[in-house]
Amino acid sequence: MKVAEFRSSLREWLAGTDLSPGPDHSLDAQVAQLARVRRALYDAGWMRYGWPAAVGGLGGPAVLRAVLGEEVATRDLAEPGIYSMVEVLAPTMLAYAPPQLAAQMVPRLLSGREQWCQGFSEPGSGSDLASLTTRAVPRGDDWVVTGQKVWTSLAQYSARCVLLTRTAPGHGGITAFFVDMDTPGITVRPLRTMHGVDEFAEVFFDDVVVPGERMLGLPGDGWRLAMDLLPYERSTCFWHRIAYLFTRLDRLLAETQVRDDAALGAAYLALHTVRCRSHTTQRRLAEGERLGPETSIDKVLLATAEQQLFDTARDLLPGVLELAETPWRSEYLYSRAATIYGGTAEIQRNIIARRLLDLGKD
Amino acid sequence: MDAAERDLLAETLRKSMTAVSGPELDAALTDFGWGDLLAESPEVAIPLVFGLLGETGAHAPLLNDVVLSAAGRAIGATVVLPYAGRSWVVWERTGEPSVGLDGELPLRSVAVGEPVPVAAGRRALGWWLVGLSRAMLALARQHVVDRVQFGRPLASFQAVRHRLAETLVAVEGAEATLLAASDDLGSLLAKAAAGQAALTTARHCQQVLGGIGFTAEHDLHRYARRALVLDGLLGSARELTVEAGALIRQRGTAPRLIEL
Repeated sequence: MKVAEFRSSLREWLAGTDLSPGPDHSLDAQVAQLARVRRALYDAGWMRYGWPAAVGGLGGPAVLRAVLGEEVATRDLAEPGIYSMVEVLAPTMLAYAPPQLAAQMVPRLLSGREQWCQGFSEPGSGSDLASLTTRAVPRGDDWVVTGQKVWTSLAQYSARCVLLTRTAPGHGGITAFFVDMDTPGITVRPLRTMHGVDEFAEVFFDDVVVPGERMLGLPGDGWRLAMDLLPYERSTCFWHRIAYLFTRLDRLLAETQVRDDAALGAAYLALHTVRCRSHTTQRRLAEGERLGPETSIDKVLLATAEQQLFDTARDLLPGVLELAETPWRSEYLYSRAATIYGGTAEIQRNIIARRLLDLGKD
Repeated sequence: MDAAERDLLAETLRKSMTAVSGPELDAALTDFGWGDLLAESPEVAIPLVFGLLGETGAHAPLLNDVVLSAAGRAIGATVVLPYAGRSWVVWERTGEPSVGLDGELPLRSVAVGEPVPVAAGRRALGWWLVGLSRAMLALARQHVVDRVQFGRPLASFQAVRHRLAETLVAVEGAEATLLAASDDLGSLLAKAAAGQAALTTARHCQQVLGGIGFTAEHDLHRYARRALVLDGLLGSARELTVEAGALIRQRGTAPRLIEL
């Protein structure tokens, strides 16, 4: 299906289908709304475009998923961060899960029947992800997992987890598993964040038994798996997020009484720049190019633009963040994390210096 | 034009620009067929020619041709061009020395001018500024790799690395806006992004070059001066950003401009 045709049919369908969220902004309500939106989009077929038939998809280019996410974000139908999680989870399953497992599980994710999470970061392994220590030890045909994860988005709602474990020393000693979250020995404790939403959780693994057939790839493939999902995060997910940020700039234009064209123009220019950059990245991906360290530039541009936009909102809506209970407060606070999650701005600059500018080791 | 033809064209242009500059380069490019290239494939000619002017440090009065051509007038002449601060300049084709910040450019202030179509000219200047930025970044990169202090190359210090990484982010971002620019607003934003990127680049590169970058013998100042002067031509980054801000405030929405 052609992109333009897909977009216009989708817009027509969305115009005739009421998927707008209710007045409840709690995380429970957001996750329920996400499931509702996914279900409706899946049943109508939209959610299945851009995914292969092997996992219940209807085929077509991956860019259709970016178009769908943009239309969802533009209408504020689902919170864009949690909406985009399938973009890293499903491709991982396609690339690394045994085909029958992917065929069985991925439709549950796409259709909103299940939420999944990603167990990567640990208390001792943030920027230095490769130092992770959650152990997986073989026992017969099974593996026994012990350790702790943190910053695991939506763990308390999740039925499954893509989990990175240590099976040997070094980068080549990281192994990924697809774990059922109701397995005995798993404890989830939501984390209270500064923006007041319990989106992230700590997850404890205490002698958790995982069947060998739930390994993703081979022993030692975990680091490659983690690196392989970056191109998806940095193409489709970014496009969704940029679409969401444009809606917030529009909202700011509607609400501000302060006439500061320099600030509005600068916020717009930063957003326009990352949209243009992301557009070239999408095109390269569509042409079959392999995305690499140059997507760190997209990441820095996006995080910078996001913080600049919300800084501008705070400046041009004086007192609103501080004195009134509106979504601006939580969204402003969340934007502080934009230069931290998914690889900090400093890690991105290290990658740019080393890999793109060829400055050698630091 | 396919990729191989484009590479060949770039090589030829680069040779000319390395050999001569100013009126001589103007004449060489005219002989080479610049006029036909601009008329027939402006989408190839403008990024290539102006990007190379930036990278090589050469100059030629070709902006006149881009603006004249967009106005449907004959090329090869001069036209009064808007400059920052609601002023006007003429880019002479004769190459007389100038009192401007970049003394190599034959730019002269004039009292009055007429409105001219600026979108194509802004794109051309955007590519020129991106080329200048890449040249400054290359100079700074070479310096930090070669220069040793405290027994280590400067390139091994994270503070230095991050400045240059920020520079590349700004330049690549600006280039993306130029690749996407087709209409008036897109061209305005691209010129603003490119001007801003060049100023960011000049600041970071000057800093990591240390003392040598402040001397007349090092080439940095030539590129930095040119970036400052070209930023003001057809609207500075600051002015264009304010203009974009006023436009979205009046419309009540920020145009997305590009779609997948």
